Amino acid sequence: MLLQNAFTDALSESDWAFALAECIHIGGFAIGVGSIALVDLQMLNLGMRHQTAARILRYTELWTVTGLIFVVFSGMVLFSSMPGVYLVNQVFPIKMYVLVAALIYNFTLHRKVAVMDNPPPLLSKAAAIVSLLLWVSIIFGGIFTGFLE
Amino acid sequence: MHIAQSLESIGFLSRFSESVLAYPIVLSIHVTDIALFGGMILMTNLRLLGLTFKGVSITQMVTTLRPWKRLGGTVQICTGLLLATSEATKYAPNPFFWAKMIILGLIGVHAMVFRPIVYNQTEQLDRSPVIPGKVQVAAILSLVLWTAMFTMGRLIAYWS
Repeated sequence: MLLQNAFTDALSESDWAFALAECIHIGGFAIGVGSIALVDLQMLNLGMRHQTAARILRYTELWTVTGLIFVVFSGMVLFSSMPGVYLVNQVFPIKMYVLVAALIYNFTLHRKVAVMDNPPPLLSKAAAIVSLLLWVSIIFGGIFTGFLE
Repeated sequence: MHIAQSLESIGFLSRFSESVLAYPIVLSIHVTDIALFGGMILMTNLRLLGLTFKGVSITQMVTTLRPWKRLGGTVQICTGLLLATSEATKYAPNPFFWAKMIILGLIGVHAMVFRPIVYNQTEQLDRSPVIPGKVQVAAILSLVLWTAMFTMGRLIAYWS
């Protein structure tokens, strides 16, 4: 609790702490979303030859989780510095619903299709496109949160 | 500053920065591209450092991702140019913007130095039992430069 207050005070007083959290947020989603996109590329048959999405998933999974943990925690720090502003924002609540959907989707359906031995090509492609659309729309949501009130 | 003003006054650029939606849409594309294209740079460097993708050869990693990274880089430069020139008078005095441009230059130097001895020698690297020092230096420098790049990009917004 004390720690949380210290964070909140530092952030409202200093733009620098907010900026740092924002940079961690960007780095985190570059790692998290970037690694998911590599799996999606493989599922779309646009990735590496003689590799499967299951293998790419295995190589990237730890990085995906690490990146997403950074992005969620830095996001909570950003949010806690001015919750009122975010809660009444036109875009932010939608971004949160899509984020929850994307997180659940990524570790359930998306994962299931990615690890399948011989997935029907259409299913594989559809799963990848849904994944890319979800994550890209979350990034757009983040930028638009700052531009629309 | 003179150049900045004339840039901004170019018809489509001024209409662009005045539009409520165009600027954030292009910025969103710029930032989404960080995730897609930055993620690939990160994974390539992690592979060079032997931290992941061990079952994939360095050659396959580098050659498969190269066309995607080129596409990503092109999108980054086009959207970045549009963002910067449409608000040229705001960017011209901004130290973070110029720091970012210097880092971009350093990334160019990195490519000139390490492409011939690392990124174009992948078959040799795949045969090597240990990761040579020059490869570790190339990968770590690349990670540092790109981190500095997006950090400066974000800090541009804080200068007033």
